[in-house]
Amino acid sequence: MSQPLLQAQGLYKSYGRHKVLRGVSFAIAPGTLVGIVGENGAGKSTLLRILAGDLRPSRGKVLRSGAMGYCPQQVVLNDALTVNQHLDYFRAAYNITSLRRADELVEQLGYQAYRRDLVGTLSGGTKQKLNLTLALMHQPEVQEDALGIPSTGKKER
Amino acid sequence: MYSSIGHRYLTAARYALLEQVRNRFALVLLLLFVPLWYYFGFLFTTDAPIAFKFRLTNVFLQVSAREVTFLTLGLNAITLIVGFMLFTATRKNTHFDHRLVLNGYPQPLLILAKLTSLVAVAAAVSLYASAVLYAYWRPHSLPLVWLGFFGAALCYGGLGLLLGVLVRGELEGFFLIIMLSLIDTFIQNPIGNPAANQEIVKGFPAFAPMQIDVAGGFTLVTPWLYVFISLAWLAGLVLLGLSIFWWKTRAWSVHTEPLSAESTTTSVESTALNNV
Repeated sequence: MSQPLLQAQGLYKSYGRHKVLRGVSFAIAPGTLVGIVGENGAGKSTLLRILAGDLRPSRGKVLRSGAMGYCPQQVVLNDALTVNQHLDYFRAAYNITSLRRADELVEQLGYQAYRRDLVGTLSGGTKQKLNLTLALMHQPEVQEDALGIPSTGKKER
Repeated sequence: MYSSIGHRYLTAARYALLEQVRNRFALVLLLLFVPLWYYFGFLFTTDAPIAFKFRLTNVFLQVSAREVTFLTLGLNAITLIVGFMLFTATRKNTHFDHRLVLNGYPQPLLILAKLTSLVAVAAAVSLYASAVLYAYWRPHSLPLVWLGFFGAALCYGGLGLLLGVLVRGELEGFFLIIMLSLIDTFIQNPIGNPAANQEIVKGFPAFAPMQIDVAGGFTLVTPWLYVFISLAWLAGLVLLGLSIFWWKTRAWSVHTEPLSAESTTTSVESTALNNV
C-alpha cells in the first residue's frame, strides 16, 4: 500500500455553539480522486480550508507530504496586476524556477490573449481560470479545487 | 530553489508599489486637489499676522495667516491622500496576501514590502506637495517643511493600513480618514481654531508635523523632538495595523512530513460533517 499524501486526524470545528465538523478522519493515497459532498452548510468549505491551512481546526490535525495546490472557492486575485504579474508573483511564492506548467495551463484553458491585461478588466470566467492556474502551476501532489471552471477556450469578457 | 530572500522581497515590494501607481483616483486627487487646495488658501486668507505657539522654544511666533494656512492645507491634503491610498490597497488585498502566504510566501517579506510601499508613497506625495507649495510661498527651509509633511504622511499611511485591516466597509474607512484628517490638521491652525495654542492639541497626530512645518516655514531650528514624536505615532499605528494583518494572513500549521503507509486507505475512511 502506498504512502498517503494527505491525512486528516480527528478534525473538529465549531463556530460558537454550531458544530460543523465532528471528528473527520481520512487518508488519501496518491492518484486518488476524492469528492466531498453534502448539504449547504454541511462543512465542505470549512474542511477544505482547514486542509489548506486557511482555517484552524478546534481539534485534530492535518498531515501532508508534498506540495499542495489550493484553489479557493471565491476568486482571490489582485485587480491591479496583470495575468503575467500574477504568475510571476506566485512563482516567487512557490519558490519555483520555471513557468512552463503555468504557460501550459494558460494555453489549455485558452486565455493566453489576456496575459498582459489587468485582472480587473477580465471576465468572471477568465478570472476563475487564472484562479485555478495559480493553484496548479507548481505541479502539486495534492490538489484542492472548489470551483467550476467553464471549459470554453473562446474569448469572453 | 529559485528565489533568494532578497528577490522575493523585491518582487513583493515591486507589486505593492505598482498597485499604488495604478490607483488612478489617488493620482488625480494628488495632481488636482493639492494645487487647488493651496489656491483656495491663497484666495481665502490674508497676510495678516497671527500668533502661533512654537513649542520647541515655547514662544509665540507672529506668522502670516496665509502662510500658516498653506501648511495646514498641505498637511490636510497629504494625510487624506496617503491615508486613502494605504487604506484602499490594504483593504482590497488582505485575502490576496493571505493566499500568497498559504502558498509559501514568507509573511515577514510581505509585511516588509507593505512598509516599503508606505514609506515610498509618503515620501513621494510629500515631495510633490512641498514642490507645489514652493510655487505659492518660499519657506525658510523647504526640506524641513517636506520633513513635516513626510511625518504626517507616514502617520496617516499607518492609519490607512490599520483601518484597511480593521474596517469592513469602504465607506466607513474613507469617512474615518476624512474626519480624522480634517479635525486633526485644522485644530492645529490658530485661524480655524482659536484654541490651537492650548495644550490639548498636543495629543493629536498632526501636532508634531505641524510644529516641524512651522519650524521649516518661519525659523532655522530643526525640531528633532517632534521628528521623533512623528515616528512614534507611525510606529504605534503601523505596529497595530501590521499585527492585525499578520493575524489575518497567517497560515495555520499543517504538518508536512512523510506519512506512514499503515494509515493509508484508498478512499475517505469516515466523514463526520455536520447534518450528515
